[in-house]
Amino acid sequence: MEAETIRALLEQAFPDAVELDVKDRTGTGDHFQVIVASPTFDGLSLLDQHRRVNDALTAMLRDGSIHELRIKTKGTA
Amino acid sequence: MKTLQEQISGVIEKEPVALFMKGTPQMVMCGNSMRALNALHAAGAPITTVDILPDPRIRQELSALSGWPTIPQVFVQGELIGGADITEELLESGELQRKLDEALGADRAQDLKVVALELD
Repeated sequence: MEAETIRALLEQAFPDAVELDVKDRTGTGDHFQVIVASPTFDGLSLLDQHRRVNDALTAMLRDGSIHELRIKTKGTA
Repeated sequence: MKTLQEQISGVIEKEPVALFMKGTPQMVMCGNSMRALNALHAAGAPITTVDILPDPRIRQELSALSGWPTIPQVFVQGELIGGADITEELLESGELQRKLDEALGADRAQDLKVVALELD
């Protein structure tokens, strides 16, 4: 299940996340919305926050198992 | 003929606002490209679009240059702004308009331009 894999990768990348949500937007297992709130993002630009999320999911973005990724990040400060 | 990489970096460097998207403004082929296009339009940006669909190498070269894995990608004066989510978020916070005002002036033109890359 791709959503579970995404969740696991994000949990690994953001062990201190205070909020973490993965939604299969279309029910087709390849369009996802992720929400991550973590102190890791405090002080980072939106661009760098999204980069961190993309980095955590690089392999899945590259091999096409994620066709679409919507990202919402939040700091905790 | 210039290489793809040269053409892509040329667009990024020279165009005030570059949007790499799936399709063209006349025929948008992806919801996220549409979101980015609409957000830029709402912010009163001049927009130069490049369709990445004609050849998979366009996307490969672009992502190699930008370090950003997904499409669309928005650049303002050579600087990567982000994808559709960031562009929308920046529009909602007013930061996109501020960024454009700063980079291009408040009385900027709002031309829409489509660049087709030359493929060998």
